[in-house]
Amino acid sequence: MITFKLAFRNLVGAGLRTWLNVFVLSLSYVVIIYMNGMLDGWNVQAKSDMMNWDTGQGQLWQKNYDPSDPFTLQDSFDPIPADFNTMIGEGKIAPVLVTMASFYPEGRIQSILLKGIPENQKVIELPTASMTADSSSIPGLVGKRMAEANKIKKGDVITIRWRDRNGTFDAADVLITAIFETNVPTVDGGQIWIPLSRLQKMMQLPGEATLFIRGKSDWPSFGKDQWIVKDLKSLTADIDQVIKAKSVSTSILYLILLLLAMLAIFDTQVLSIFRRQREIGTQIALGMTRGQVVRLFTLEGAMNGVLAALLAAVYGIPFLASQAKYGIPMPKASNSMGMAIAEKIFPVYSVGLVVVTICFVMLTALVVSYIPARRIAKMNPTEAIKGKIQ
Amino acid sequence: MAFLPSVLFGQNPSASRIIEQIDKNMASKNRIMTATMIVHGQRDDRTMEMKVWSEGDKKSFTEYLSPARDKGTKMLKLADQLWMFAPSADRIIQISGHMLRQSVMGSDLSYEDMMDDRKLTDVYNAVVIGPDNIDGRPCWVLELRAKTDDVAYFMRKMWIDQDRNIPLKEEWYAKAGKLLKQTTLSDVKKLNGRWFPTKMIYKDMLKTGGGTEFVINDIQFDVNIPESIFSKAALR
Amino acid sequence: MIRFLLKGLFRDRQRSLLPVIVVVTGVLLTVLMQTMMTGILGDLIDFNAKFSTGHVKVVTKAYAERMDQTPNDLALSKVAQLKEKLQTEFPSMEWVPRIRFGGLIDAPDSIGETRSQGPAIGWGIDFLSAGSKEAERMNIPKSMVSGHLPKKAGEVLLSNQFAEKLKVVPGDQITLFGSTMNGGMTVYNFKVAGTVIFGSGVLDRGAFIADISDVGQALDMPDAASEILGYFKNNRYDKIQAADAVKKFMSAMNTADPYAPVMISLRDQNNLGEMVDYEDLVSVMIISIFVMAMSLVLWNAGLLGGLRRYGEVGVRLAVGESKGHVYRSLIWESILIGSIGSVIGSVIGLLLSLWIGKNGINVSGFMKNASMMMPSVYRTVITSPAFYIGFIPGLFATVIGTALAGIGIYKRNTAQLFKELE
Repeated sequence: MITFKLAFRNLVGAGLRTWLNVFVLSLSYVVIIYMNGMLDGWNVQAKSDMMNWDTGQGQLWQKNYDPSDPFTLQDSFDPIPADFNTMIGEGKIAPVLVTMASFYPEGRIQSILLKGIPENQKVIELPTASMTADSSSIPGLVGKRMAEANKIKKGDVITIRWRDRNGTFDAADVLITAIFETNVPTVDGGQIWIPLSRLQKMMQLPGEATLFIRGKSDWPSFGKDQWIVKDLKSLTADIDQVIKAKSVSTSILYLILLLLAMLAIFDTQVLSIFRRQREIGTQIALGMTRGQVVRLFTLEGAMNGVLAALLAAVYGIPFLASQAKYGIPMPKASNSMGMAIAEKIFPVYSVGLVVVTICFVMLTALVVSYIPARRIAKMNPTEAIKGKIQ
Repeated sequence: MAFLPSVLFGQNPSASRIIEQIDKNMASKNRIMTATMIVHGQRDDRTMEMKVWSEGDKKSFTEYLSPARDKGTKMLKLADQLWMFAPSADRIIQISGHMLRQSVMGSDLSYEDMMDDRKLTDVYNAVVIGPDNIDGRPCWVLELRAKTDDVAYFMRKMWIDQDRNIPLKEEWYAKAGKLLKQTTLSDVKKLNGRWFPTKMIYKDMLKTGGGTEFVINDIQFDVNIPESIFSKAALR
Repeated sequence: MIRFLLKGLFRDRQRSLLPVIVVVTGVLLTVLMQTMMTGILGDLIDFNAKFSTGHVKVVTKAYAERMDQTPNDLALSKVAQLKEKLQTEFPSMEWVPRIRFGGLIDAPDSIGETRSQGPAIGWGIDFLSAGSKEAERMNIPKSMVSGHLPKKAGEVLLSNQFAEKLKVVPGDQITLFGSTMNGGMTVYNFKVAGTVIFGSGVLDRGAFIADISDVGQALDMPDAASEILGYFKNNRYDKIQAADAVKKFMSAMNTADPYAPVMISLRDQNNLGEMVDYEDLVSVMIISIFVMAMSLVLWNAGLLGGLRRYGEVGVRLAVGESKGHVYRSLIWESILIGSIGSVIGSVIGLLLSLWIGKNGINVSGFMKNASMMMPSVYRTVITSPAFYIGFIPGLFATVIGTALAGIGIYKRNTAQLFKELE
């Protein structure tokens, strides 16, 4: 304990020099926690956006359905299991029917997906309730990205052509009743949402669906031969991969910052050992073992880490907390990575993250302090006490 | 004058009789024709020449004669199957599933449009909805509505030349009533004792563009076509 | 005076070596941080640039209006001439034509009939010309699973998953069935050279890449291309230069013709404009924090230097040197140390950046698969700030540190000097 107090006093006694080091080191804490918090926040956000807009709490796919291969769609529907009907009526499960169609922006044919979903669904945030129109046209929703790419505005009427289950061509006008804004590209690009009942009628597929999205409640019973459960983990696996890639790249950045702080501690240590030879000699002469002196100096250096943690807490906690509260604004991102990027990311700092960061920085400070302090063990105390340079 | 009463009383000839007449006029056991197809694209036009051997509605064999790029490309249709042979790649490719919905050589016709080979009277209920005239020729307008589920076009309208029993115009409609495609037939000539339109223009009404023109340069009916031509072996 | 100080520095290692080492290390880290930051932060933009937007892109006016649909019938014609014109007018950029298209890939059985088929998205890029950087640019070599890059005409790369689905392996023949530029039909044979992982679900399930001349032949696009992408030679998007290029190109263009080429900069594609500004801002912020931290460290080093030479200064004052003279000489010394350290640090930092820029830091160990879309190699990018940024902490902070520490000189009491020296 004496060693501890002594180390502390020595360190603080050095004044400005110590505080400069401590400040730089405290930056490392804040930056590491901030960057990782941001990535975790992004991860959480991307997943919750996915959940809110696309996956719900889980999905059930018709066995042939493969979203990456639109040509599977012509065989990807089955009758909705009877036990589902109550929950569908309550909006707790959303059946979705997916089919291919064509539309004609500026007279050019383009393939799109037509997705039918009940107006009363409550499992994803699509503004399905706004799909209202008189019976002459079909009400439809498109995402902002789709709207921008094809110059669609709210209130526009667009002609779509599709083929029903028997292959008969049909064409009709869809009245765009709302344009929704989402970060989730999988419900936006190249698709139009219309009421499920209309699509079932258009396709001659009454009572059938391609997939189901569920809210918090569990699946009622269904035929395991026709339907395959997709849990959240598998539906959001891509996000983990992207975040992982990002976290590797950010760790390179803060490693460099940490290296810098270590350079500062190292330099200070080297100097103080050089300047305080008499002190070291005296301490040994007074009966401290060399090991104890090494420990004292190492502790002094490592104490930088403790002070830095305290300093980081002083300005870091308000900063990190305000970021978590108000969010980090993000650019309107292109979604070439195919994942959701929100307008704002709210960083998430876990206890684990903070503890690991503190331990990591402390340990590094300890190692960097120890390396120059080892020289003490080789000193000749009598020479040292005379202040002779060794 | 004998014609007059039926018009006066609003009586049209029965649609089935008209279709029967068309069949009688246009159908043959088999035919061989050479034709030119002109696709009016947005940027430029493309012209292709082809020779077609067909027997009934189920079998047809097409060989492209020009342009040089497509020369030697052959297509064989047997009932509901379609194969294509490309000499440049020396490959026979089966065109199936969604590929059938693609356009043929960039035209306004899809493979599927070419494949539809069922008899009109098998698939549609036809009624005559009245007289009309096209380019000064009196026509009957037929409305055909699908009687089975699995037809590509729910409703069709045909304008039939009253004297010559040939269609002059055809419209394809979606179930909801939207006009999808339109064909106009013209340059009617008397060939081997029957009237036959030698120029057709197909147009996908939802797309912009000038449509696809199909001109028959030469056609022979009821000739001797060896059965071997309608086989995959003939493709290579 | 400077010569005298220099001699002193060189002869007295205690005085020079450690401070210079510290400055060198600090400056080196700053330069490295800056180039690394530029490389990493720009990765989303970079990724877009490499795969779809270029730093600038030349397409026909009609194509530009419907870019999302990649409408090949609206492709550029007379590409060779256009490319040459671009190269003469904008010699600081590399111009590469590409073709993007869709089609059906068909794998034959032993008698040449269809065995398996699948729809695919295709790229025609320049694999075969000598010195083409396209394969590297799209990170293909590192994403290969089997086989090799196309080495001669007629070879193609398939996404690995797609190859498995079609049951083909390198060496097998496959056939592309699709539409030519003007809507005709095309059937074209390729030999599978290798398979790659794209790292994007859609592309992994059906994509292929072949040499652009093959694709041009297959799609009947002689001397035509979907787009010509322009890349700055340092591989770094420069928004001002890009905007200038666009302005220059467009001012000479006939805009009435829908098939006339137009140039679009990266920031006007895929909503990237905001992203570019954002990354600039973040990069400035991070680098400022870093430079500040570095400055503190070197300031501290300056303070330490002052302490180190406490005794020496005492002697000098005792033998009658004026305080101002000692102080000035210390400042001059620190300027020398700062300059030497900054120069050496910058040079080493730049060399290191150059090396990492070339070889990359491979982090594939942390990731499941290397793929084209998610590169597992990070690279530094050297931009002009890399050449001077090190001097901010290296020179200025060192001098300020010394200047502050040196104030102590004026506080020293001459009468006590010899006592201190005992």
